Amino acid sequence: MQEEKVLVVDQQKCTGCRLCELVCSVFHTGTSNPSRSRVKVVKWEDVGLYLPMACNHCEKPYCVEVCPTKACHREPENNNRVTIDKKLCIGCRTCIIACPFGHPFFDVQERVTVKCDFCDGDPQCVRFCDVKAISFTDAEKTNLTRKREAFLRYAESMKHIR
Amino acid sequence: MIAIYLYLAGMGAGSFVIGTLMGWLGVKLNPLPSLSLLGYTLNLSKVPVLWGPILVAIGAPFLILDLGIKWRFMYACLNPRTSWVARGFLILSTFIIFGLALFVKSILPLEWVHGESSLWRIPEIIAVFFALATAVYTGILLKATKSVPLWNTYVLPVLFLVSALSTGSMAIILSTLGTGLFSLDSAALRALMVAVQILVVIEGIVLYLYLSGRSRVSEQGRDSVHLLLLGEKKFFFWGGDILLGLVLPFVLVSIAVFSGGNMLLIFLSGLTLLCGGFFLRVGVLHAGIKEQIPMHRLMEIQYNAMVERTKALRGLKSGETREIQ
Repeated sequence: MQEEKVLVVDQQKCTGCRLCELVCSVFHTGTSNPSRSRVKVVKWEDVGLYLPMACNHCEKPYCVEVCPTKACHREPENNNRVTIDKKLCIGCRTCIIACPFGHPFFDVQERVTVKCDFCDGDPQCVRFCDVKAISFTDAEKTNLTRKREAFLRYAESMKHIR
Repeated sequence: MIAIYLYLAGMGAGSFVIGTLMGWLGVKLNPLPSLSLLGYTLNLSKVPVLWGPILVAIGAPFLILDLGIKWRFMYACLNPRTSWVARGFLILSTFIIFGLALFVKSILPLEWVHGESSLWRIPEIIAVFFALATAVYTGILLKATKSVPLWNTYVLPVLFLVSALSTGSMAIILSTLGTGLFSLDSAALRALMVAVQILVVIEGIVLYLYLSGRSRVSEQGRDSVHLLLLGEKKFFFWGGDILLGLVLPFVLVSIAVFSGGNMLLIFLSGLTLLCGGFFLRVGVLHAGIKEQIPMHRLMEIQYNAMVERTKALRGLKSGETREIQ
């Protein structure tokens, strides 16, 4: 059975360079236009806080439930991703309103809604992120990685205390 | 666009329900001056009572205008199993088809359709059912957005239904004003005006229950209600919905009923009520705030911690500078 992979964001590593937005837009639209990217970096510049936001491919996705045309659907054969069929999308934006994470975006040039599709198995944001703030890991090992990193940070901070 | 659709669909469906109920209850309408078209004599007396489907047919294209790719609007019925937009497409289409068929039947004096036959009661019942569904659907369409606490309640469809019936009744009264349509049955007009008063009172109660319930459901629900009552949207709410949609119509209709049907008062109350119905939908649409997800909460905590740390550092720096000076 194929292992299911997910995008994992470590917000503490993100420097807010927005390279992920750039490479995402180039991969999907052929233009370096971050406004058409499927990943968005939310910034709080005054305190230096950056959060790359990408689709969570939820277990029970609201976007799939509310889509009137079945354009928004799940593909179990492709990492169980939730994706939008551009040929079926009518651009009603119901999925954007329904998503609690505000993820799907309306592409003003194509007049349809677009969202992260893991770049067909090779996410460009992961490939080009210099500080490795975004990773594409096995769904089952996600928590393990996060726990390991948290403990390493804890050990590091304990060293300073000593 | 969506607010215009919600308003026209609600008012059209409500007026059709009230108009058909009047027909079933045997309200006698005065024959209006007939009009001839292509050799046919048109019967116009039911036009002001049954014109609801036309309003809904005018409102529906506003939904299509809102689409990214407009010509694909026919795809919107492909997922009725889970999507309320798709279900709404089917509900609206059925109501428009049945409603317009009954409307045309009431105008055209075609003998072969046997307009007086009791079999016509079947499409009438279907049309009334789908008219009610259309009025309720305008609320369910918003209720389907689970991440917005202000909309995610079954009270909203009830509120929109009551508003649809009150604006629909008023639309009938306004469209018959000056035509003398009710002169054969003036008690019907009086009953309609009392019905509007009762519906306005019910709408006020449902609105109170709706807002008080939403303000208790979550932080974002409380923020939405606050936005509507005291925030940026307070003019829509207090001026548009409460004053124009509830208080003025109730007072003016009451005076009109006791003063023996003053036309100007009825006209003014009608206009204010119809405006209020529109502002109700605009207010509810604009005040919806999405639920905060745990990730946002985490970021908020981190942000506040960092702001505190930055403030402390700045204080430290200014203290150090003072010491050096």
